[in-house]
Amino acid sequence: MGILDPELLDQVLDGVASVFLVVGGLMSLAAGIGMVRFPDLHSRMHAATKPQVLGLLSLLMAAAITWRSWTGVVLVLLAWGLQLLTAPASAHVVGRAGYRTKHFKAGQLAQDELARAVDRISRGHGARREVRDESD
Amino acid sequence: MLEHAYWITQTLLAAAVFCAVYRVFRGPSVLDRVISVDVILIIVSSMLITDMVARNHQDFILFVIATAVIGFLGAVAIARYVAVRRPEGAAGVTELTGLLPRVPEDPGSESGGSAGARRHADGPVGGEPVTDQRLGGSGPARRILRPRRPRGG
Repeated sequence: MGILDPELLDQVLDGVASVFLVVGGLMSLAAGIGMVRFPDLHSRMHAATKPQVLGLLSLLMAAAITWRSWTGVVLVLLAWGLQLLTAPASAHVVGRAGYRTKHFKAGQLAQDELARAVDRISRGHGARREVRDESD
Repeated sequence: MLEHAYWITQTLLAAAVFCAVYRVFRGPSVLDRVISVDVILIIVSSMLITDMVARNHQDFILFVIATAVIGFLGAVAIARYVAVRRPEGAAGVTELTGLLPRVPEDPGSESGGSAGARRHADGPVGGEPVTDQRLGGSGPARRILRPRRPRGG
């Protein structure tokens, strides 16, 4: 018998699912605390990705373990894969808008690699100059 | 055991929702609120998953998948609205293409597609960085920001 005992296996799987549940909840709680305590937009975005990817992965794994069906695994993979596809898009666009509207504290950046490229663009005939030329 | 984990997880998720709601309330910018609302949405979806795990059913999986598909649309729309961009179809090198515009060495030898319009607008200054004087030149972020605002005349 041993590990192949169905009842024992059920209990072990339920235990694993419980652990995954609590880990997912902790990820979301970490995101919430980070949303409250982090100082600027980009660090809050860093916190906000925890439940989007890791927390959802943990909870969905708990669901897949509990359901014990291959259909459930397919659904879980679909949900997590779609989340993994769309989360970077929104993070990229929000971060881009946040940088351009100066929603960050420059003193807290260890390195601002975008600043050099922005500098180089604005020096010559950049996009902004041409916008102004058209409006003249 | 699963029941205990259910209650613990729901408590943690509820606390996280309250933190996110506080950030929506406090958030200095609309972008903070957008990512907070995103977090709230994903936490609601997490609560449904937790319920599915504890009660062992699959009723809410469609909501979770739909959230994963369309959950980012609100953030993208609002972020695009926040950062006002130049109008579509405008001539010249856009920064959206990722191409860096050419920097002419001296003002006289400038040539290019829309060089005439540029020279006309800038007058005899040509390729000199007028941007710095007009905008005060206080850093790259301001320089990329300021001229985006619509100006009259």
